[in-house]
Amino acid sequence: MNRSRLMKSAQEPIRAILGDRLALVGLAVLLSIIAMALFAPVLSTHAPLAVNEREEGSLFTRSVGDGQVRWQASPPLGEATLNAADYRDGLGMAVGRDGVVWRYAGGDWSRLDTPLTATLNAVNIREDGATLVAGAQGTVALWTPDDSWQTFAMPEPLNVNGIAWRDADTALLVGGGETVWQLDLTSGEVTSLESPVGRGFDLNGVALDTDGSAWLVGDRGLALRLDPDDDSLTLERLPGNRELNHIHIADSGAGLIVGERGTLLVRDDAEASWQSQDAPDSRAMRAGWITDEGHAFAVGRSGIVFEREPGGNWQLVPSDEERHLRALMVTESHYFALGSDRFVNRLAPPSGEHWFGTDHLGRDLYSQNVHGSQIALLVGFLGAALVVLIGANVGLVAGYFRGRTETVLMRTVDVMYGIPFEPFALILVLLFEPSLFIVILAVSLLTWRTVARLIRSQVLSLRERPFVKAARVAGASDLRIMYLHIFPNVMPLVFLELAIIVGVSIIAEATLSFLGLGPPQSISWGGILHNARLSGAWREAWWWNLPPGLLIMITVLSVFFISRSLELVANPRLRARR
Amino acid sequence: MSSRRSYLIRRVLHGFMALFIIATLLFFLFRLGLPDPTAALITEGLNPEERERIRASFGLDRPIWEQYFIYLANIVQGDFGYSFHYRAPVADIIWERLGNTMILMLPAIVLAYGVGAPLGAWLSWRRGSRADTSGIFVGLMFRSAPMFWTGMIAILIFGIGLGWLPTSGMRTLPYDASGFLDKIFTLDFLHHLILPALVVALYYLGSPLLIMRNTMLEVYGEDFIEMARAKGLPERRILYAHAARNALLPVVTQLAVTIGLAAGGQVVVEVVFSWPGLGREILNSVRTSDFPLAQASFLVMAAFVITLNLLVDILYTMLDPRVSFK
Repeated sequence: MNRSRLMKSAQEPIRAILGDRLALVGLAVLLSIIAMALFAPVLSTHAPLAVNEREEGSLFTRSVGDGQVRWQASPPLGEATLNAADYRDGLGMAVGRDGVVWRYAGGDWSRLDTPLTATLNAVNIREDGATLVAGAQGTVALWTPDDSWQTFAMPEPLNVNGIAWRDADTALLVGGGETVWQLDLTSGEVTSLESPVGRGFDLNGVALDTDGSAWLVGDRGLALRLDPDDDSLTLERLPGNRELNHIHIADSGAGLIVGERGTLLVRDDAEASWQSQDAPDSRAMRAGWITDEGHAFAVGRSGIVFEREPGGNWQLVPSDEERHLRALMVTESHYFALGSDRFVNRLAPPSGEHWFGTDHLGRDLYSQNVHGSQIALLVGFLGAALVVLIGANVGLVAGYFRGRTETVLMRTVDVMYGIPFEPFALILVLLFEPSLFIVILAVSLLTWRTVARLIRSQVLSLRERPFVKAARVAGASDLRIMYLHIFPNVMPLVFLELAIIVGVSIIAEATLSFLGLGPPQSISWGGILHNARLSGAWREAWWWNLPPGLLIMITVLSVFFISRSLELVANPRLRARR
Repeated sequence: MSSRRSYLIRRVLHGFMALFIIATLLFFLFRLGLPDPTAALITEGLNPEERERIRASFGLDRPIWEQYFIYLANIVQGDFGYSFHYRAPVADIIWERLGNTMILMLPAIVLAYGVGAPLGAWLSWRRGSRADTSGIFVGLMFRSAPMFWTGMIAILIFGIGLGWLPTSGMRTLPYDASGFLDKIFTLDFLHHLILPALVVALYYLGSPLLIMRNTMLEVYGEDFIEMARAKGLPERRILYAHAARNALLPVVTQLAVTIGLAAGGQVVVEVVFSWPGLGREILNSVRTSDFPLAQASFLVMAAFVITLNLLVDILYTMLDPRVSFK
């Protein structure tokens, strides 16, 4: 009998919701959010706090505007890192990971079909346009302008890092373990040249000099010179002992060697000696290029670009993005930088891979928002349940007994109204550690007051009803009258307040998290906005701002729509809301 | 007349009682949560004798009850102690910050209720129309969006995107003013006030809008409206002079609640817009473990809320003479 009465009390609110179209929409949305919270691990496309990386064939173009030099990101060339590039007489070639080869002609880039799969580290164009490419596992191949490939077998599967044409039929190849090979392209024959050092250092670059000799550079500042007359290698002493990553010599004899820790070695002409020059930054430089006039460029990790005017000092030039640059290609009209190892995908706009984009640490924002619904709903419903439990009981007791009991309880409510919410939460966090419990406690402590007032005012009128008087005459106890007779009649109002306070609690939790007072190491919508504000990147990354706030608004709106239908069931004259 | 006066006296006494309870609550909360307030002052190498001397100078070596009465006596005299962080008297800091908070909050609430109530009345007149539905939806929408998020979006659109309004602060630096009124009655200041005030106003607009609309619909069914209509009064006069006057009562009640909420909710707006108000100061003092400033700021804000609630209750007795006889 008693249970069925409570059941009947709950039926009316449910029927009110189902009868109101707006409330139905609100209910559907709320259920969707709840499903999102329950299935967050399944719905997330990434681990919410994992740093996401990616890779691309980055392409940067130098531009001069308003007297300012800037290297701007162009649309990338595919998704594989580009390791080396060369240009000659209108033809440009760039090579990279997984045997990728891009061709630049007539101002356009196009990808070539290749039979190669190994990572390519070196490329050099012959005078007739034929191009030799080389890379990991002893991969060496020749591309001819009729778009055909010819591969060559190497004695060992070593990394080949540099190529230089000696003449139309002979090429130098340098690589790991001080390997120096001379390839005869007509016969496919490979001759190993003996290094005078013999300590197994990697060789990273090779360039033909104007007198027919060749320079080879590598790790530990290793520099070798090839005598064109007897094909012997001699050790050369260069300033410094950093790893040398690349060498380029222009037709005029001007030369540039770049290496680790901002190493820059410059030779002004064929007769000059190599000079170490000061770099504006000490990061690793991967590639360099110098023109006949001595205009020089160097690129390296994290988008670093150095430039030097002929005879001038090296300058750090701004570039758009922090890509790892590994190659340079200079044409008659353009300067290109290419590269990108794997890099942190920070502040990426929404895309097919990351639907809501990424934040300043490369974390997926869609997954964060999905997980954020868990805390929002947890605090929302737990907080609301606690609030209504306290408020309804206080109001019930105060309204029923009146007199001194009512005075004490309602004065307590008055005191609570004097306490501002957010500052009180701040004080609580100051005194106790931030945690989910403190958040729920803060939300509950300061919102039950409204419920208490509303329930009390309704109980005041209900207690005078005939059915209550009849129960009292029949000898029922105060407890029985309060909870079995009066309480079912205030249930509609309780449901209404429950719905309203869910929305209030969700906003309150978001507010606390936004102020940095939420549970540490948790993911919440307010916390996402807190991180956005702290990083300062929210002013550009609009995708960081929009989703959490929209989700909060949609969730709270759906709860409000439900509460509006419940309002008709509750006393129509009671309009007070938070 | 005497019943109104006794009602007011009772309300004022209730306010003081509430303030006393809050002050006591604060005192014991701080004692409960903080084993040693001097921890914030301790630098490396401070020996035990020095630590004890500092505790004595702050009165922390006395019995808890003696500390309590000293604390109450200091509060009554307006002495809130010394700020660890600013190394200045707490009272000086608080009054300036409270002024800044009021400058932002009061215009916003006046705007929210000054626009919301008439708009709600108008919506009730247009009940069932598209304007009515749209008005309700917009009011609920801004109420559902967190204030800090609305603030960030507003900064993105009007500050950064369109470049119309300043994005933070109370005024452009550097700045020099000879007095308080000189400080606020400048174009630069008002320019900075627009965005935060609008954000707060939009958040609180929904309450008076919806309450006014719903109450007007109820009032339309009353007998005195039929009487006014039977007398041949114009519809607009019936709407605003008769119906709106009665419907205003719940709006005023809600205003009291809103003021309490607004004072606290101010924290996030002050944070987003870098507005140097009292709420933001509480947050900063919490982070820097500046306990005297945090404690006093909270107490002053509570007093502020209680005072405003009191003023609204007084206003309420003017609107509805029946209240004074309760």
